[in-house]
Amino acid sequence: MKATFITLLLALLMPFSLIALEETHTVSRNDLGEVDALESLSPHDILDHAKAVLEHGEEVANVEANKLVMITEKFGVSLPTLVAQMVNFCLVALALYYFAVKPVTKTLDERQQKISDGLQYAEEMKVQLAEAERERAAKVKEAAEEAHRILSEAREQSKELIEKKTHEAAAQAEAMIRKGSEATERERQKMLSDVRQEVARLVVMTSAKVLSRDLSDTEKQTFADSATQELAGIES
Amino acid sequence: MKKNVKIVQFAKKLVELSKEGGVVTEAGVSEVLKALKQGQHRNHLAVLKLFRNYIRREITLQTAVVSTPSNLNQANLEMIETHFTKKYNRPINVVLQQDDSLIAGVRVRVGDDVYDASIAGNLQRLAENVY
Repeated sequence: MKATFITLLLALLMPFSLIALEETHTVSRNDLGEVDALESLSPHDILDHAKAVLEHGEEVANVEANKLVMITEKFGVSLPTLVAQMVNFCLVALALYYFAVKPVTKTLDERQQKISDGLQYAEEMKVQLAEAERERAAKVKEAAEEAHRILSEAREQSKELIEKKTHEAAAQAEAMIRKGSEATERERQKMLSDVRQEVARLVVMTSAKVLSRDLSDTEKQTFADSATQELAGIES
Repeated sequence: MKKNVKIVQFAKKLVELSKEGGVVTEAGVSEVLKALKQGQHRNHLAVLKLFRNYIRREITLQTAVVSTPSNLNQANLEMIETHFTKKYNRPINVVLQQDDSLIAGVRVRVGDDVYDASIAGNLQRLAENVY
């Protein structure tokens, strides 16, 4: 914005500069033509010529002064007015600078700062995004490796579990078979015992019936005597 | 119910007084009962009950119950009486009891001791051995 303002000032001062440049150029061309003619004259002539030139210069200066006065009068330009206009222009320019250009410049600078900050932020975000992308890729890779490891461990564990369960099932089956065999053996022994008891009971009952029916009184008396002897014999 | 120690000792003393030659006799028991009736002990009923129980036990201990399905001759009875008197070192009276379930033989019970020489007892022991 400062550059724009300076450019505006230069544009306003451009006519004056062009006028001064044109005058300088005109004088230089006249001087060059006269220098070429002087090279072919004698010193005395040169002195005269110089005098004449001085006079002519004075005349020209007077003419130029009259011309300048004529121009200024023709265009209505006077030095106080010009100075006042320049002062006014400077005041307006200063007012514009402080009340319009400076806030606008400040706003533009802030906006520019915001834009640059935004761009920097965007750049940082881009870097962070790239970093995050790298981290994400690394984490994905790590997660994939972890998943692979977990899967392998799970497979190993499932394999071990299957083997363990198989062994347990085999052991349980063996235990069940053993228990079944033991139960069968116990049942068989119990049945044998029951049969033996029943047979013994039947034998005893049958023997008792047979003996009670078939023994005669004499035999009973004889047995009683022998039993008495036996009791006495055992205890003696 | 806890027995009174003094009553127990008194009942046992009465039982000893009822014995004649180590044997409880009817006369001895009658004299003791007569004395108790005259004395009227403070725990008269309890003493009598205990005395009765001890007399029963003494009679059981000095009696050999001979069970047999047939009659035993006197010689066998005397043999049994002599044998158990000698065995227990006290006078044992023999009481004959008929028991047809024994089939044949003799079973003698003295107090809580049982001596079995019967066919039923032998068969029972045989059955128990077979079991």
